[in-house]
Amino acid sequence: MLTKEELLKFEEEIKDLFLDKKILAPVHLSGGNEDQLIKIFKDVKKQDWVFSTHRSHYHALLKGVDKEWLKSEILEKRSIHIHNKECNFFSSAIMAGVIPIAVGTALGIKRQKKKNKVWVFFGDMSAEMGIAHECMKYAGGFDLPIVFVVEDNGLSVDTPTKKVWGESGKKAKIIRYKYEREYPHQGCGIWVTF
Amino acid sequence: MTYKDEIIKAMLLLAENKKTIFLGQSVAYPGSAIYGTCKDIPKSKKIELPLIEDMQMGMSIGLSLEGYIPISIYPRFDFLIMATNQLVNHLDKIESMSVGRYKPKVIIRTVVGSTKPLYPGEQHCSDYTDAYKCMLKNVEVVKLTKSKDIVPSYKHALERKDGKSTLLIEIADMYPNK
Repeated sequence: MLTKEELLKFEEEIKDLFLDKKILAPVHLSGGNEDQLIKIFKDVKKQDWVFSTHRSHYHALLKGVDKEWLKSEILEKRSIHIHNKECNFFSSAIMAGVIPIAVGTALGIKRQKKKNKVWVFFGDMSAEMGIAHECMKYAGGFDLPIVFVVEDNGLSVDTPTKKVWGESGKKAKIIRYKYEREYPHQGCGIWVTF
Repeated sequence: MTYKDEIIKAMLLLAENKKTIFLGQSVAYPGSAIYGTCKDIPKSKKIELPLIEDMQMGMSIGLSLEGYIPISIYPRFDFLIMATNQLVNHLDKIESMSVGRYKPKVIIRTVVGSTKPLYPGEQHCSDYTDAYKCMLKNVEVVKLTKSKDIVPSYKHALERKDGKSTLLIEIADMYPNK
Protein backbone atom coordinates (compact mmCIF):
# COMPACT_ATOMS: atom_id res chain seq x y z
CA MET A 1 0.00 0.00 0.00
CA LEU A 2 1.16 3.51 -0.79
CA THR A 3 2.50 5.65 2.03
CA LYS A 4 1.24 9.09 3.03
CA GLU A 5 4.27 10.66 1.35
CA GLU A 6 3.60 8.79 -1.89
CA LEU A 7 -0.03 9.91 -1.93
CA LEU A 8 0.96 13.53 -1.33
CA LYS A 9 3.63 13.33 -4.03
CA PHE A 10 1.14 11.95 -6.56
CA GLU A 11 -1.34 14.78 -6.05
CA GLU A 12 1.53 17.32 -6.17
CA GLU A 13 2.47 15.90 -9.55
CA ILE A 14 -1.13 16.15 -10.79
CA LYS A 15 -1.32 19.70 -9.48
CA ASP A 16 1.81 20.62 -11.45
CA LEU A 17 0.42 19.02 -14.61
CA PHE A 18 -2.78 20.99 -14.16
CA LEU A 19 -0.85 24.22 -13.67
CA ASP A 20 1.16 23.39 -16.81
CA LYS A 21 -2.19 23.17 -18.69
CA LYS A 22 -1.55 19.49 -19.49
CA ILE A 23 -4.93 18.37 -18.11
CA LEU A 24 -7.80 19.85 -20.08
CA ALA A 25 -10.52 18.81 -17.64
CA PRO A 26 -11.48 19.51 -14.02
CA VAL A 27 -9.38 17.77 -11.38
CA HIS A 28 -10.55 17.31 -7.78
CA LEU A 29 -7.40 16.86 -5.75
CA SER A 30 -7.31 14.93 -2.51
CA GLY A 31 -5.45 16.15 0.55
CA GLY A 32 -5.67 16.26 4.32
CA ASN A 33 -7.23 12.80 4.68
CA GLU A 34 -4.23 10.55 4.03
CA ASP A 35 -4.03 9.11 7.56
CA GLN A 36 -7.75 8.32 7.75
CA LEU A 37 -7.77 6.62 4.35
CA ILE A 38 -4.63 4.59 4.92
CA LYS A 39 -6.20 3.26 8.12
CA ILE A 40 -9.47 2.34 6.36
CA PHE A 41 -7.74 0.72 3.38
CA LYS A 42 -5.81 -1.65 5.65
CA ASP A 43 -9.10 -3.59 5.81
CA VAL A 44 -9.85 -3.42 2.07
CA LYS A 45 -8.99 -6.68 0.33
CA LYS A 46 -7.82 -7.04 -3.26
CA GLN A 47 -11.03 -8.76 -4.36
CA ASP A 48 -13.27 -6.15 -2.69
CA TRP A 49 -15.09 -3.49 -4.70
CA VAL A 50 -14.40 0.20 -4.11
CA PHE A 51 -16.89 2.83 -5.28
CA SER A 52 -15.82 6.43 -5.23
CA THR A 53 -16.67 9.94 -6.34
CA HIS A 54 -15.26 12.72 -8.51
CA ARG A 55 -12.43 12.97 -5.95
CA SER A 56 -11.06 9.48 -6.32
CA HIS A 57 -7.27 9.60 -6.81
CA TYR A 58 -6.39 8.49 -3.27
CA HIS A 59 -9.07 5.79 -3.26
CA ALA A 60 -7.82 4.41 -6.57
CA LEU A 61 -4.18 4.41 -5.52
CA LEU A 62 -4.91 2.77 -2.18
CA LYS A 63 -7.05 0.12 -3.92
CA GLY A 64 -4.00 -0.83 -5.97
CA VAL A 65 -4.54 1.06 -9.21
CA ASP A 66 -1.19 1.65 -10.89
CA LYS A 67 0.12 5.21 -10.48
CA GLU A 68 1.15 5.64 -14.11
CA TRP A 69 -2.13 4.20 -15.39
CA LEU A 70 -4.06 6.61 -13.17
CA LYS A 71 -1.96 9.52 -14.32
CA SER A 72 -2.65 8.63 -17.96
CA GLU A 73 -6.39 8.48 -17.25
CA ILE A 74 -6.23 11.93 -15.65
CA LEU A 75 -4.35 13.27 -18.67
CA GLU A 76 -7.10 11.75 -20.85
CA LYS A 77 -9.61 13.99 -19.02
CA ARG A 78 -11.15 11.17 -17.01
CA SER A 79 -10.17 12.23 -13.48
CA ILE A 80 -13.83 12.90 -12.70
CA HIS A 81 -14.82 9.25 -13.25
CA ILE A 82 -12.05 6.68 -12.92
CA HIS A 83 -12.90 3.06 -13.78
CA ASN A 84 -10.48 0.18 -13.37
CA LYS A 85 -12.01 -3.25 -13.83
CA GLU A 86 -8.89 -5.21 -12.83
CA CYS A 87 -8.99 -3.54 -9.40
CA ASN A 88 -12.79 -3.60 -9.00
CA PHE A 89 -12.76 0.19 -8.91
CA PHE A 90 -15.68 2.35 -10.03
CA SER A 91 -16.40 6.04 -9.62
CA SER A 92 -18.92 8.65 -10.73
CA ALA A 93 -19.32 12.40 -10.57
CA ILE A 94 -23.04 12.30 -9.79
CA MET A 95 -23.62 13.12 -6.12
CA ALA A 96 -24.55 9.96 -4.21
CA GLY A 97 -24.73 8.24 -7.59
CA VAL A 98 -22.51 5.31 -6.77
CA ILE A 99 -24.26 4.44 -3.50
CA PRO A 100 -27.15 2.38 -4.96
CA ILE A 101 -24.79 0.80 -7.50
CA ALA A 102 -22.61 -0.28 -4.60
CA VAL A 103 -25.65 -1.72 -2.79
CA GLY A 104 -26.62 -3.70 -5.89
CA THR A 105 -23.10 -5.05 -6.16
CA ALA A 106 -23.18 -6.06 -2.49
CA LEU A 107 -26.53 -7.79 -3.07
CA GLY A 108 -24.98 -9.69 -6.00
CA ILE A 109 -22.05 -10.76 -3.83
CA LYS A 110 -24.35 -11.97 -1.06
CA ARG A 111 -26.61 -13.94 -3.41
CA GLN A 112 -23.56 -15.71 -4.84
CA LYS A 113 -22.25 -16.40 -1.32
CA LYS A 114 -18.89 -14.81 -2.13
CA LYS A 115 -16.51 -13.68 0.58
CA ASN A 116 -15.57 -10.22 -0.70
CA LYS A 117 -17.30 -6.97 0.19
CA VAL A 118 -18.05 -3.49 -1.05
CA TRP A 119 -16.67 -0.17 0.19
CA VAL A 120 -18.43 2.99 -0.94
CA PHE A 121 -17.01 6.47 -0.31
CA PHE A 122 -19.06 9.68 -0.47
CA GLY A 123 -19.19 13.14 1.08
CA ASP A 124 -21.16 14.59 3.97
CA MET A 125 -23.79 16.25 1.74
CA SER A 126 -24.34 13.03 -0.22
CA ALA A 127 -24.78 11.27 3.11
CA GLU A 128 -27.78 13.53 3.77
CA MET A 129 -29.48 12.76 0.47
CA GLY A 130 -32.61 10.64 0.48
CA ILE A 131 -31.10 7.91 -1.65
CA ALA A 132 -28.18 7.49 0.78
CA HIS A 133 -30.65 6.90 3.61
CA GLU A 134 -32.57 4.40 1.46
CA CYS A 135 -29.37 2.55 0.65
CA MET A 136 -28.12 2.38 4.23
CA LYS A 137 -31.52 1.21 5.46
CA TYR A 138 -31.75 -1.52 2.80
CA ALA A 139 -28.15 -2.68 3.30
CA GLY A 140 -28.73 -2.93 7.04
CA GLY A 141 -32.11 -4.63 6.63
CA PHE A 142 -30.63 -7.36 4.43
CA ASP A 143 -27.22 -7.51 6.14
CA LEU A 144 -25.35 -6.83 2.91
CA PRO A 145 -21.54 -7.04 2.76
CA ILE A 146 -20.96 -3.30 2.36
CA VAL A 147 -19.27 -0.51 4.29
CA PHE A 148 -20.41 3.11 3.82
CA VAL A 149 -17.59 5.62 4.35
CA VAL A 150 -18.65 9.25 4.82
CA GLU A 151 -15.84 11.71 4.10
CA ASP A 152 -16.91 14.72 6.10
CA ASN A 153 -15.20 18.03 5.30
CA GLY A 154 -18.35 19.98 6.12
CA LEU A 155 -18.72 21.19 2.55
CA SER A 156 -20.61 20.30 -0.60
CA VAL A 157 -18.57 22.07 -3.29
CA ASP A 158 -18.42 25.27 -1.19
CA THR A 159 -21.85 25.05 0.45
CA PRO A 160 -21.71 24.42 4.21
CA THR A 161 -23.65 21.19 4.69
CA LYS A 162 -24.90 21.69 8.26
CA LYS A 163 -25.90 25.31 7.75
CA VAL A 164 -28.06 24.67 4.69
CA TRP A 165 -29.86 21.77 6.39
CA GLY A 166 -30.76 24.13 9.23
CA GLU A 167 -29.24 24.36 12.65
CA SER A 168 -32.26 24.73 14.90
CA GLY A 169 -31.55 21.34 16.40
CA LYS A 170 -35.28 20.66 16.53
CA LYS A 171 -37.12 17.65 15.10
CA ALA A 172 -39.96 18.21 12.63
CA LYS A 173 -43.43 17.44 13.98
CA ILE A 174 -44.63 14.12 12.57
CA ILE A 175 -47.88 12.31 13.26
CA ARG A 176 -47.93 8.61 12.43
CA TYR A 177 -50.91 6.40 13.15
CA LYS A 178 -51.61 2.76 12.46
CA TYR A 179 -54.76 1.21 11.04
CA GLU A 180 -55.97 -1.82 9.13
CA ARG A 181 -57.42 -1.04 5.73
CA GLU A 182 -61.01 -1.90 4.99
CA TYR A 183 -60.75 -2.10 1.20
CA PRO A 184 -58.09 -3.36 -1.23
CA HIS A 185 -55.52 -0.95 -2.67
CA GLN A 186 -57.89 -0.12 -5.54
CA GLY A 187 -61.59 -0.78 -6.04
CA CYS A 188 -63.78 -2.58 -3.52
CA GLY A 189 -62.73 -6.20 -3.81
CA ILE A 190 -65.63 -7.22 -6.05
CA TRP A 191 -65.04 -7.79 -9.77
CA VAL A 192 -66.99 -5.32 -11.92
CA THR A 193 -67.63 -5.99 -15.61
CA PHE A 194 -67.95 -2.78 -17.63
CA MET B 1 -52.29 -15.87 -27.73
CA THR B 2 -52.99 -12.45 -26.27
CA TYR B 3 -50.49 -9.63 -25.78
CA LYS B 4 -50.38 -10.55 -22.07
CA ASP B 5 -49.78 -14.24 -22.88
CA GLU B 6 -46.82 -13.20 -25.02
CA ILE B 7 -45.45 -11.14 -22.12
CA ILE B 8 -45.76 -14.15 -19.78
CA LYS B 9 -44.01 -16.32 -22.37
CA ALA B 10 -41.22 -13.76 -22.71
CA MET B 11 -40.74 -13.59 -18.91
CA LEU B 12 -40.45 -17.37 -18.73
CA LEU B 13 -37.89 -17.28 -21.52
CA LEU B 14 -35.85 -14.73 -19.58
CA ALA B 15 -36.21 -16.77 -16.39
CA GLU B 16 -34.58 -19.78 -18.05
CA ASN B 17 -31.27 -17.91 -18.15
CA LYS B 18 -29.16 -18.54 -15.04
CA LYS B 19 -27.98 -14.95 -14.89
CA THR B 20 -31.36 -13.22 -14.89
CA ILE B 21 -32.99 -11.80 -11.79
CA PHE B 22 -36.31 -9.93 -11.62
CA LEU B 23 -36.68 -6.94 -9.34
CA GLY B 24 -39.18 -4.19 -8.67
CA GLN B 25 -42.54 -3.65 -7.06
CA SER B 26 -45.26 -6.32 -7.41
CA VAL B 27 -42.96 -8.94 -8.91
CA ALA B 28 -43.54 -11.20 -5.90
CA TYR B 29 -46.68 -9.68 -4.33
CA PRO B 30 -49.95 -8.79 -6.06
CA GLY B 31 -50.79 -5.16 -6.73
CA SER B 32 -50.39 -4.48 -10.43
CA ALA B 33 -50.62 -6.23 -13.79
CA ILE B 34 -46.91 -6.99 -13.45
CA TYR B 35 -47.61 -9.63 -10.81
CA GLY B 36 -49.72 -11.75 -13.16
CA THR B 37 -46.99 -11.71 -15.78
CA CYS B 38 -44.35 -12.84 -13.27
CA LYS B 39 -46.33 -15.44 -11.35
CA ASP B 40 -44.68 -18.47 -12.99
CA ILE B 41 -41.14 -17.24 -12.47
CA PRO B 42 -39.37 -19.16 -9.65
CA LYS B 43 -39.52 -17.27 -6.34
CA SER B 44 -35.75 -17.50 -5.97
CA LYS B 45 -35.34 -15.29 -9.04
CA LYS B 46 -37.62 -12.50 -7.83
CA ILE B 47 -36.73 -9.62 -5.50
CA GLU B 48 -39.65 -7.54 -4.31
CA LEU B 49 -38.34 -4.06 -3.55
CA PRO B 50 -39.55 -1.12 -1.49
CA LEU B 51 -40.55 2.03 -3.40
CA ILE B 52 -37.03 3.08 -4.33
CA GLU B 53 -37.18 3.73 -8.07
CA ASP B 54 -33.85 5.48 -8.55
CA MET B 55 -32.10 3.19 -6.09
CA GLN B 56 -33.61 0.21 -7.94
CA MET B 57 -31.99 1.34 -11.20
CA GLY B 58 -28.66 1.81 -9.41
CA MET B 59 -28.98 -1.60 -7.77
CA SER B 60 -29.69 -3.13 -11.17
CA ILE B 61 -26.43 -1.66 -12.47
CA GLY B 62 -24.60 -3.00 -9.41
CA LEU B 63 -26.07 -6.47 -9.87
CA SER B 64 -24.91 -6.43 -13.49
CA LEU B 65 -21.38 -5.59 -12.33
CA GLU B 66 -21.54 -8.85 -10.36
CA GLY B 67 -22.54 -10.85 -13.44
CA TYR B 68 -26.34 -10.79 -13.25
CA ILE B 69 -28.72 -9.70 -16.01
CA PRO B 70 -31.34 -7.79 -14.02
CA ILE B 71 -34.88 -7.43 -15.32
CA SER B 72 -35.70 -4.14 -13.62
CA ILE B 73 -39.45 -3.66 -13.60
CA TYR B 74 -41.43 -0.44 -13.23
CA PRO B 75 -45.20 -1.06 -13.22
CA ARG B 76 -45.96 2.29 -14.89
CA PHE B 77 -43.96 4.62 -17.10
CA ASP B 78 -44.88 7.42 -14.70
CA PHE B 79 -42.82 5.68 -12.01
CA LEU B 80 -39.79 5.11 -14.23
CA ILE B 81 -39.46 8.90 -14.38
CA MET B 82 -38.10 8.75 -10.82
CA ALA B 83 -35.31 6.43 -11.93
CA THR B 84 -34.22 8.69 -14.77
CA ASN B 85 -31.16 9.92 -12.84
CA GLN B 86 -29.53 6.49 -12.67
CA LEU B 87 -30.82 5.55 -16.13
CA VAL B 88 -29.45 8.61 -17.94
CA ASN B 89 -26.45 9.53 -15.81
CA HIS B 90 -25.14 6.02 -15.27
CA LEU B 91 -26.62 3.11 -17.22
CA ASP B 92 -26.58 5.06 -20.48
CA LYS B 93 -23.09 6.49 -19.98
CA ILE B 94 -21.01 3.91 -18.10
CA GLU B 95 -19.69 2.21 -21.21
CA SER B 96 -18.39 5.46 -22.71
CA MET B 97 -17.27 6.90 -19.35
CA SER B 98 -15.25 3.77 -18.67
CA VAL B 99 -13.99 3.45 -22.26
CA GLY B 100 -15.74 0.09 -22.55
CA ARG B 101 -14.26 -1.36 -19.35
CA TYR B 102 -17.73 -1.76 -17.82
CA LYS B 103 -20.77 -2.71 -19.90
CA PRO B 104 -23.69 -3.20 -17.54
CA LYS B 105 -26.52 -5.01 -19.29
CA VAL B 106 -29.90 -4.31 -17.75
CA ILE B 107 -33.32 -5.11 -19.19
CA ILE B 108 -35.81 -2.47 -18.11
CA ARG B 109 -39.48 -3.25 -18.35
CA THR B 110 -42.19 -0.64 -18.01
CA VAL B 111 -45.83 -0.22 -18.95
CA VAL B 112 -47.96 2.60 -20.34
CA GLY B 113 -50.90 2.39 -17.93
CA SER B 114 -54.30 1.34 -19.18
CA THR B 115 -57.03 3.91 -19.79
CA LYS B 116 -59.94 1.49 -20.34
CA PRO B 117 -62.34 0.65 -18.86
CA LEU B 118 -61.13 2.86 -15.98
CA TYR B 119 -59.28 6.12 -16.55
CA PRO B 120 -56.47 6.17 -13.96
CA GLY B 121 -55.70 9.90 -14.08
CA GLU B 122 -52.89 11.97 -15.57
CA GLN B 123 -50.16 10.41 -13.44
CA HIS B 124 -50.83 6.76 -14.24
CA CYS B 125 -51.05 6.42 -18.03
CA SER B 126 -48.26 8.57 -19.50
CA ASP B 127 -46.17 7.52 -22.46
CA TYR B 128 -42.70 9.09 -22.48
CA THR B 129 -41.25 6.91 -25.23
CA ASP B 130 -40.15 9.79 -27.43
CA ALA B 131 -38.59 11.70 -24.54
CA TYR B 132 -36.51 8.69 -23.51
CA LYS B 133 -35.46 8.05 -27.10
CA CYS B 134 -34.11 11.61 -27.13
CA MET B 135 -32.29 11.28 -23.81
CA LEU B 136 -30.79 7.82 -24.16
CA LYS B 137 -27.83 7.38 -26.49
CA ASN B 138 -26.79 3.81 -25.66
CA VAL B 139 -29.79 2.20 -24.01
CA GLU B 140 -32.09 1.00 -26.77
CA VAL B 141 -35.73 2.01 -26.41
CA VAL B 142 -38.29 -0.47 -27.80
CA LYS B 143 -42.03 0.13 -27.72
CA LEU B 144 -43.97 -3.11 -27.99
CA THR B 145 -46.84 -2.22 -30.28
CA LYS B 146 -47.49 -5.72 -31.67
CA SER B 147 -47.98 -9.01 -29.82
CA LYS B 148 -45.79 -10.88 -32.28
CA ASP B 149 -42.80 -8.63 -31.47
CA ILE B 150 -42.84 -9.24 -27.71
CA VAL B 151 -40.95 -12.52 -27.38
CA PRO B 152 -38.36 -11.70 -30.10
CA SER B 153 -37.74 -8.26 -28.52
CA TYR B 154 -37.13 -9.63 -25.03
CA LYS B 155 -35.02 -12.45 -26.49
CA HIS B 156 -32.88 -9.91 -28.33
CA ALA B 157 -32.50 -7.81 -25.16
CA LEU B 158 -31.26 -10.91 -23.33
CA GLU B 159 -29.00 -12.33 -25.99
CA ARG B 160 -27.59 -9.21 -27.61
CA LYS B 161 -23.83 -9.41 -27.93
CA ASP B 162 -23.09 -5.69 -27.84
CA GLY B 163 -23.60 -5.63 -24.08
CA LYS B 164 -26.12 -2.83 -24.32
CA SER B 165 -29.16 -2.36 -22.11
CA THR B 166 -32.71 -2.25 -23.42
CA LEU B 167 -35.79 -0.37 -22.23
CA LEU B 168 -38.94 -2.24 -23.30
CA ILE B 169 -42.25 -0.42 -23.12
CA GLU B 170 -45.47 -2.41 -22.90
CA ILE B 171 -48.96 -1.03 -23.47
CA ALA B 172 -51.43 -2.14 -20.83
CA ASP B 173 -54.48 -1.39 -22.98
CA MET B 174 -53.23 -4.10 -25.36
CA TYR B 175 -52.89 -6.83 -22.72
CA PRO B 176 -56.26 -8.50 -23.59
CA ASN B 177 -55.72 -8.19 -27.36
CA LYS B 178 -54.54 -10.89 -29.72
